[in-house]
Amino acid sequence: MLHRRIYQFLIIYFMALTLLLCIKYALGLSSYVIPGPYEIWSTFGNVLRRYMSDVMDTLSVAIIGQIVSVFLALTVGIIGRQTTWFGSFVKVAAYNIQAYPIVALAPIIFILLGDGFLSRLLIAAMICYFPLLLSIIGIMSEPVTDIEHFYRVTGRMRWQLEVKIRAFENLSKLTTVVAGSATLAMAGTIVSEFIAANAGIGYSIRIALYQSDLSKILIALFLIGITLSVYQGLLETTGSVVKRLWEIR
Amino acid sequence: MRKIPYRAVLLTLAMLFSFSVFALPAEAAEEINYRLKWLLNTSVVGDIYADVQGVFAENGLKVTVKPGGPERDAIRELELGLAQFGVASADQVIRALSKGSPVVVIAQLFQVNPLQWIYRASAPPINTLSDLKTRRIGITYGGNDETIMRTLLAKGKIAEKDVRLFSVRYDYTPFYQKKVDIWPVYRNTQATILSRKLEKEGEAVQYFNPAEFGVHFVANSVVTSREMIEKRPETVKRFIQALLRGWKESLSPENEARALETLQQVDKDTPPDVLLEQLRITRQLIVPPAGTAIGAIDIAAWKQTEAIMIQQKQIPKPVRVETVLQSGFIPAD
Repeated sequence: MLHRRIYQFLIIYFMALTLLLCIKYALGLSSYVIPGPYEIWSTFGNVLRRYMSDVMDTLSVAIIGQIVSVFLALTVGIIGRQTTWFGSFVKVAAYNIQAYPIVALAPIIFILLGDGFLSRLLIAAMICYFPLLLSIIGIMSEPVTDIEHFYRVTGRMRWQLEVKIRAFENLSKLTTVVAGSATLAMAGTIVSEFIAANAGIGYSIRIALYQSDLSKILIALFLIGITLSVYQGLLETTGSVVKRLWEIR
Repeated sequence: MRKIPYRAVLLTLAMLFSFSVFALPAEAAEEINYRLKWLLNTSVVGDIYADVQGVFAENGLKVTVKPGGPERDAIRELELGLAQFGVASADQVIRALSKGSPVVVIAQLFQVNPLQWIYRASAPPINTLSDLKTRRIGITYGGNDETIMRTLLAKGKIAEKDVRLFSVRYDYTPFYQKKVDIWPVYRNTQATILSRKLEKEGEAVQYFNPAEFGVHFVANSVVTSREMIEKRPETVKRFIQALLRGWKESLSPENEARALETLQQVDKDTPPDVLLEQLRITRQLIVPPAGTAIGAIDIAAWKQTEAIMIQQKQIPKPVRVETVLQSGFIPAD
């Protein structure tokens, strides 16, 4: 699963890069518009170490942001699954908060929390949280009638058991949703770094943009992609291991 | 089988052809895309004026003035054929040249770089470069201001450990909160707003202008492609004539009301009194000393900009920027 994700990413990346180079040579564009292979390679050598450390910095914030948003989405999803007034109230509140664009909220966040770790974490969690919430509410609101019916008629159904049944029956879906949300957490962290942080790969991309250096941006995209593929692959592997262990029990 | 009425068909085609020919204006205006460096504000008053007041049209050009922004790059658009003219800063031009871009500079808009630093008048004045020592200095990492400040520090023989560099963003809060002593601003736009806010709090401001300390880092200039110069020199001539006339008229003190009215059409968020102040400061930065035409290219400043970029390893080797500075299209004042 892991190596498949990596080689699939490599195929996509190098196809896109080849397309860019074809455009460069077909239109006779200078290296200012699209850098040549030698320039990309030498930039790779020059910035690899620094950018890799930046990507790891970003990834660490993204992972924490993702964990926060998974817990938040699970909590809201579990409460929101109920057809009660409070359940629908929680859903409405969760949806409305998401309606505000993060770019508009970011300056307020930075004024309140500064341009350090907390702001990056909050923005990452905010961007990643809503799609997670939608999926979790969808999963948790769907009864698994065959199994739940038995517990209901025997009077042994509790909310914890209901959540467990629904989570277990939809574990593959949940794993896919959580793995997918890693991309959003990473994107959220990069956006926050781009807007106002002093660290991470988003910040380095911003500097590269100031210097009109597309080769640095291409390297950054490569490192982000490969790191994310590894992380998502690991999440999927973990998901399948958890499912296997659960089935054995 | 019915016979095709050839005569009728021919007559109809002839009529359609003659209608289309006579319907065309005597000389259709040439369509041009002009990509600016930044959003529509007082820094581009001449560009807006030439467009809105019909100066381009008078020169037989139909120019679409496109606002710029951080993600826009006029030089790339020239190469891709998306624009025929654009505005770029000197560092952009020099970087593009070092990567083989066929860019040519045909006019220099700012004679004095508007990028300066603002600081509170209550703080000790910066009369010499060594006065920068121990101060908390705002810079945009990767931006022009970083390059300029590092050059100033090197010129003043000040080590980085002797100052405290602070990474700045669009948000001025660290300056308001006095976490940063001197903050980079565009003298003719941001500075007017910032200084008014501080004045309301009873604080006066001063400016630190790198040009006064011998650092002449060139700002916005008008660029085009080598192909345009070679294949359409007449268009280049008409464009630059119209554009510089727009700049001249918009910055003429007698024409101030009209220029202000033009600005208000595109910059609706800035109050008129602020626009007026911005316009007057812009005049000081654009209009060269008497005897020199608006748009004049300061070759020495360009060479210095290139030397700074080599020194700071922003380009690997000299590009001989003076070879792409073409002031031949600028009309005599």
